[in-house]
Amino acid sequence: MRTRTLVVAGYGMAGHRLVEEMRTGNRGDADGTWRIVVLAEEPRPAYDRVALSSLLSGASARDLTLAGPDVLGDPRVEVHLHSPVTGIDRTAGTVTCAKGRVFGYDALVLATGSRPFVPPVPGRELPGCFVYRTVEDIDAIRAAAQPGRDAVVVGGGLLGLEAAGGLRQLGMRPHVVEMAPWLMAQQIDAGGGRVLAEAIARLGVRVHCSTVLRGIEPGANGRAARVTLDDGTVVDAPLVVFSAGVRPRDELADPAALARAERGGFLVDQWCRTADERVWAIGECAAVEGRCHGLAAPGYRMAETVARQLLGREGDAFAGADASARLKLLGVDVAGFGDAHARTGGSIEYVREDRRAGTYAKVVLDRDGRTLLGGVLAGDTRAYPVLRALTGRELTASPDTLLTGA
Amino acid sequence: MKTDVVVVGGGPAAHRLAARLVQYGHRGTVTVIGAEDNAPYNRALLGSVLDGTLSPGQLTLPALPSTVRLLTGTRVRTIDRARHTVRLDDGRELTYDVLVLATGARPRLPWVPGLVTARGQLADGVRTVRTATDCHPLPAGPVTVLGGGILGVESALRLRRAGHEVTLVHREHALMERYFDAGACAVLDDLLAERGVAVQLGRRATEFMPGKLVLDDGQVVAAGTLLLCTGVEPETAPARACELAVRDGVVVDDRLRTSDPHIHAIGDCAEHAGAVGATVTGAWEQADALARILTGTNRPFSPSPQVLRPRIADFDAVALTPASAKGIEEAEETISLMDRAGGRYAWLALRGGRIQRGVVIGPAVAAVGFLHERAAVLPEDRLALLTGSDGTYAEDGVLPDDAVVCHCNNVTHAALRQAWTGGAHDPAALARATRATTGCGSCTGVVRELCATLGSPPQAQGGAS
Ligand SMILES: Cc1cc2nc3c(=O)[nH]c(=O)nc-3n(C[C@H](O)[C@H](O)[C@H](O)COP(=O)(O)OP(=O)(O)OC[C@H]3O[C@@H](n4cnc5c(N)ncnc54)[C@H](O)[C@@H]3O)c2cc1C
Ligand SMILES: Cc1cc2nc3c(=O)[nH]c(=O)nc-3n(C[C@H](O)[C@H](O)[C@H](O)COP(=O)(O)OP(=O)(O)OC[C@H]3O[C@@H](n4cnc5c(N)ncnc54)[C@H](O)[C@@H]3O)c2cc1C
Repeated sequence: MRTRTLVVAGYGMAGHRLVEEMRTGNRGDADGTWRIVVLAEEPRPAYDRVALSSLLSGASARDLTLAGPDVLGDPRVEVHLHSPVTGIDRTAGTVTCAKGRVFGYDALVLATGSRPFVPPVPGRELPGCFVYRTVEDIDAIRAAAQPGRDAVVVGGGLLGLEAAGGLRQLGMRPHVVEMAPWLMAQQIDAGGGRVLAEAIARLGVRVHCSTVLRGIEPGANGRAARVTLDDGTVVDAPLVVFSAGVRPRDELADPAALARAERGGFLVDQWCRTADERVWAIGECAAVEGRCHGLAAPGYRMAETVARQLLGREGDAFAGADASARLKLLGVDVAGFGDAHARTGGSIEYVREDRRAGTYAKVVLDRDGRTLLGGVLAGDTRAYPVLRALTGRELTASPDTLLTGA
Repeated sequence: MKTDVVVVGGGPAAHRLAARLVQYGHRGTVTVIGAEDNAPYNRALLGSVLDGTLSPGQLTLPALPSTVRLLTGTRVRTIDRARHTVRLDDGRELTYDVLVLATGARPRLPWVPGLVTARGQLADGVRTVRTATDCHPLPAGPVTVLGGGILGVESALRLRRAGHEVTLVHREHALMERYFDAGACAVLDDLLAERGVAVQLGRRATEFMPGKLVLDDGQVVAAGTLLLCTGVEPETAPARACELAVRDGVVVDDRLRTSDPHIHAIGDCAEHAGAVGATVTGAWEQADALARILTGTNRPFSPSPQVLRPRIADFDAVALTPASAKGIEEAEETISLMDRAGGRYAWLALRGGRIQRGVVIGPAVAAVGFLHERAAVLPEDRLALLTGSDGTYAEDGVLPDDAVVCHCNNVTHAALRQAWTGGAHDPAALARATRATTGCGSCTGVVRELCATLGSPPQAQGGAS
């Protein structure tokens, strides 16, 4: 069989999983019918972005490496670092890189991820303002940190809280600014938010909810010095981290006449395929049936789906994914899973709160009172893995038992 | 020693006190003076008279023993504390050794132009619900109920059921907000909507005109009858006039004594530990306690926790409150259930695993009420208590085969078991074989536990194939 060429644009977590699926294990391309060309923008091979914050607690970039020598030494795989794709010629079946090189493809998989969204506030370009996405971002933040001083994190989601935890590790006094009435509003409900706020306050992180950033003013040295919020609060902070959400990196779409979803992202069907049958998109840059997914696991499922198609194997389409997530850092236990906000029609909410222990737990059940749909855990997340595994199924024991681990 | 007891008021509190004094062997006379023409009756059932399900006569309480002297249709005008006498409005004077005030409460009238005539009477079409005379059935036509407390909500639903077009106007933003929390209010709102009672929240009445009520936002609602359910005020006039200590109600201590040791007060007119009575159960409890105190027991009065059950057809609800404001300690734990579609709700504050206070709507009312009454520790499966389920669960606690354990890598329980059978006998080996735990790592605990279960002797493996 003719050897075909798969070009993967982007070597992040989803791109890496695709390469792995193509080359290894019982599911891999044992016949070697595919040559894989990986074009990476970043200066290093794929790494565990989910564990990025561990760089601030002693880990090194090497510890995060996902692509080991087995991948990089595989003759079927060619990795080009520092080589962002700048254009796609779908008629010719080629992509062009920043370095001017052109690669032909039989199949092209876009795995370009997202970029942090930086709200258009005055002063956001000042030195001292950062985003939180790559190893380089973390290095820059570490270099700019000033222990003992205040720092502002814009965005009180999962990532913002991680960033706040990171800044604490660096000896700074973080403030978190969140537009919603409570932190991690996407994953948890008001009750969980209350416990989270108390726990975070105990750590000395100051939280400003229901307000937004108004602007950042420079000091005499021309660097960020003073941050003003819409509620009038002023914080003297030489360091600002934006983690106010991400936007899919779909800039290759328009020039190549590939469709984009309404809110961005390469528009693909449930098989992760664009309207061009040779072009797929996976990970955070993919808008599967119009919807983007901002977590690692859905990207893995997409990579697996595409690998199966390229290898001519049977398998399911991408079936969607929930926004389950657990805060990893800060020593604060919070998690939301499944239908955490009880949006399913007819659903039942059962809540246990223990003020002394500072714990809050909610389970959302289907109208039958037996099927677990989702929930929120705060202060104690030991039950998270089991409850998550049971989501969408009948409870195997009373929530009281599952929650208390009795 | 013989003591002559005079009771001012002829409501349920007075009735119960007189009956118990005789029962407990009180020596001396007992005289009850009631302003209403009727013999004592159970006021709490007046709602049923209003919608025609009971006749006023059916509320009459059991006749008092013949040794009790009952004067009806006459009112105590003044109390002379120095001479130990009371004067009635028919001019009679009675001497007491012990005087008991059981004067109850009367409807509080809101200040709304048009409500009261120049002669100080309620305008035509305006009604209160407090006495048997008030409570003849309403004429046909639209009714507006002013006040969304328990009485207002109960009345609105009863009248709606009896076929009236009903609007319920409440000045707070939630109905029965003194007893219900936000969740319970939401379920109650659903009920009223479903039963076709129009509800106006956060609105005050600004004017009453025959047949209609004007609200503060300019709306005009049909009110062939305007039913005032705007609360009550304790009847404290005689107590004030003789300069007893009165705050909202007549202030009493733990022996139900007023500031004058020869005068007691019970029921809706009394204020004990900062709380004024408002329930017939509370009134009866105080009457019982005072009868014991007056017949020689020295046990001080201590109120039991209050249980409030609004009487709404096909709607079970209960508000459990601690005995008094003093009794509210910080709850340790709370549990709640919200099933809006199913019309069920519960919120319970617990201390030491026992119910301290709460609200329940739905079939769990009985079971929860039972545990509350006995101050019993809640069962382990609290969800089953609140939903009334049978407490059985799927799979006997074992994770189903196709449950995904590692979501980052889509590894099922079955896949992990298979890898174990294939020789991967510790978490590291399972991770190599399946990738489980190599993503975010949050499933590590489950995988470790699985190793422990699979590694234990077969008879302990319960459910493994
Ligand atoms: C600090 C942090 C913590 C996180 N924690 C969690 C967590 O706990 N759980 C979770 O599920 N998710 C977490 N995430 C999100 C998770 O990292 C992402 O969902 C995941 O990395 C997405 O994978 P991806 O391959 O789609 O995108 P990425 O990992 O961003 O990879 C995209 C790659 O494509 C490159 N690229 C872009 N354009 C081009 C181009 N034109 N040519 C070539 N290369 C290009 C980018 O430089 C990048 O290297 C976290 C993210 C961060 C930053
Ligand atoms: C429609 C309605 C429904 C209710 N539902 C409930 C319920 O479901 N559960 C519950 O627990 N409670 C309920 N209540 C409240 C309950 O009826 C009262 O708490 C109870 O009646 C109080 O008893 P009481 O004897 O202290 O006062 P009252 O019943 O008010 O009796 C006092 C009596 O004293 C008379 N009086 C006043 N001044 C004098 C005077 N100077 N001389 C002589 N007589 C005087 C009055 O005319 C009156 O007859 C309801 C009340 C109403 C109106």
